[in-house]
Amino acid sequence: MRGHLLKLLTAVTSVILLQNCSEPEAPLPQLSFEETLQLQLIEAEPGAVITIPAGTHALTRSLSLNVPGVTIRGMGMDSSILSFKNQIQGAEGLLVSANDFTIEDLAIEDTIGDALKINDSTNVTIRRVRTEWTGGALTSNGAYGIYPVQSRNVLIDGAVAIGASDAGIYVGQSTQIIVRNSRAELNVAGIEIENSTFADVHDNIATNNTGGILVFDLPNLPVQGGRNTRVFNNQIINNNTANFAPEGNIVGTVPAGTGMMILANDNIEVFGNSFTDNNSANVLIVSYHITGLPIDDANYDPFPESIFIHDNQFSGGGTAPDSEPLALLQAATQQPIPDIVWDGTVAPDKQAADILCLRNNGEQTFANLDASNAFAAPSFDSSPHDCALPNLSVISLSSAQ
Amino acid sequence: MASACWRPALTAITLLTALYACAPQAPVFHASGSPVRLSEWNLFVLSADSLAPAPAAMVFAPTNQLFTDYAQKLRTLWLPPATAANWLDGEIDYPVGTILTKTFYYPVDGEGTALQTAPQSQSLLDLRSNQLVETRLLVRREQGWDAFPYVWNDEETEAFLRVAGSSKLIDLKSDAGSRRFSYFVPNENQCAACHVTEHPDGELQPLAAIARQLGSSFDADADPALTQIEELQRRGWLSAAANSTPDSTLDSTLDSKPDAVSSSPAISWLDPSATTAERARAYLNVHCGHCHNPQGAADTSALLLDGSNTAPINLGVCKPPVAAGGGAGERLFAIVPGAPERSILLYRMESSEPDEMMPELGRTLVHAEGVALISQWIAELPGSCSTDGITQ
Repeated sequence: MRGHLLKLLTAVTSVILLQNCSEPEAPLPQLSFEETLQLQLIEAEPGAVITIPAGTHALTRSLSLNVPGVTIRGMGMDSSILSFKNQIQGAEGLLVSANDFTIEDLAIEDTIGDALKINDSTNVTIRRVRTEWTGGALTSNGAYGIYPVQSRNVLIDGAVAIGASDAGIYVGQSTQIIVRNSRAELNVAGIEIENSTFADVHDNIATNNTGGILVFDLPNLPVQGGRNTRVFNNQIINNNTANFAPEGNIVGTVPAGTGMMILANDNIEVFGNSFTDNNSANVLIVSYHITGLPIDDANYDPFPESIFIHDNQFSGGGTAPDSEPLALLQAATQQPIPDIVWDGTVAPDKQAADILCLRNNGEQTFANLDASNAFAAPSFDSSPHDCALPNLSVISLSSAQ
Repeated sequence: MASACWRPALTAITLLTALYACAPQAPVFHASGSPVRLSEWNLFVLSADSLAPAPAAMVFAPTNQLFTDYAQKLRTLWLPPATAANWLDGEIDYPVGTILTKTFYYPVDGEGTALQTAPQSQSLLDLRSNQLVETRLLVRREQGWDAFPYVWNDEETEAFLRVAGSSKLIDLKSDAGSRRFSYFVPNENQCAACHVTEHPDGELQPLAAIARQLGSSFDADADPALTQIEELQRRGWLSAAANSTPDSTLDSTLDSKPDAVSSSPAISWLDPSATTAERARAYLNVHCGHCHNPQGAADTSALLLDGSNTAPINLGVCKPPVAAGGGAGERLFAIVPGAPERSILLYRMESSEPDEMMPELGRTLVHAEGVALISQWIAELPGSCSTDGITQ
């Protein structure tokens, strides 16, 4: 009898359990490729290598990584493609905030906003990565392709950046930077180093951008005082694409046909480059005042200083200036705009030679626009700039060995 | 004889029913691991037609909450038995085991279509007139807070952990008609994007269950004078003595005092007795300040909206964009005093393009009421921007 009751009790309990708690369990949701990839990025342990298989993978939401020491590795920038053509959420393709990060051999295409943003990270390696907007130079493209900001020890090697409506390769507010062996094409700015220190930009090709290579320092940012950048052995060719940046952005002020532009940066060494057919000017050196924007920042130095341009090759260019003062100059001289154009603004206690030195640039031509006197008396005399500055030191990153 | 045997058996059955039925006895703190099902935490009593917080949990509401596509939010706070929070530098320091929940839901009409309504304060959700979307947990573990986003299944019988986030198409009906949009459940990194206010090395922190957000009534009908802080203390969940000295280490060189970095109660952006400027700053603080602060992920822009810095340029007055791209909307400055229609800040609030809109996370729709407030504030600001700088 007692045994019988126990059996009954067990049975009743089982029924209760079944009915109340052990109802057929709701099935687990299935994860898509992008959810699985995002899950891998979240659950990665330091040292993990996350592989992106060959193929075009459609994603709809931003990916992000916060774990240090992770490598994301594809099968090649033309094989492993993360396509954000159908993106409906997130301001980036991949957002990384993680030290000791490596990404290599893949492509990020058609993101709504920036393609690859890396914020506040140390030891960043971006190798053979392509970021591209496949519809060409459109204002609706995202702002930045490869975009490390407030980072340290950044190597960008063998990358390709196409179609950014701001900068293809943009390194901002960072220090200890190498950008090399890369190609920037059809962006507003091909390669831009902004509010950064200690950068080597070399052996790159910047072509068909609005401006090939820009080195800028802007006010009102937590990191400023941009300086110590070497730009060397680059091919800066035919950067004549009409400026397609959304209005209101500083890069929107860059004239189409700019080979290289230095804005308010100090200690810049430009050498061994080949400048070809950049039709506003092969090289522009300007102060922030040229933008006409207000400066509300007591700590900001709007003037470029200690710019040393030597041993470069110039060929063609300056034939179709996309800037009012340059167009007026061309109309007045009936000559192409000179290879190297300086706006001529000088900080109160400085001389021309403190700003700019020119040496061994073949048959370079030069203009001082006299911008501080409303462009009243431009000069073509480069003799005040016949000087040399000490060579800047080499940037050395262990990742670049 | 038989009946004498049956009685204890029935008692035992009743007891077992109580033990094993799904109505939870108490929430369960998982000190590690990531439970796949929300029910493993025992934080709610779920039946076919209602969802109620576990009786041991406290329902609370912050003074200012983030706009999330007009979703309603039911928040609970639970501390393990015999534990209490303490004050640390003017902030509530919760004990290990604390669990915060936030359940996102929409009231629905008879056909099950989601309705856009004014913020509600339901603590028992009738599932015949409400649709559950997701429940997010913040769990205080030994090493800090962990975030867990759970997404409800269509049957509303369970919510599953979706570490990588999720999305759901929702038809939302308002007076202006019906619109379909993608509601996004954040992934765990996106949780951190807001809840880690000190980028990148800070810790995940609660944003609602904090001192300055708990100054409003616990139960406005029963006892309007009792604040939620006091209710925590009444329950023995928070020590009485507030270390109320606000952090005064921020050296402001400005005329007006920073208004965020203290535990004094926040002003509600909906408070009709507050000035437009106070309401606007309260709104910007809760919607922008988690990134736009001096240690935040958006400090790269130098636009600081957490109230710690009231220099006009850092609030955006006559500040050119840095990396806004199309988000600048072809406008020249973040704020042009007197001219909301020329202010980037407003453009980004009015945009629903993922690469342009602000905040970047947490919404697909435009928050019309927030836009109206910020627009009014900018319209009332004196001065103008010129290429020579700020003109007062």
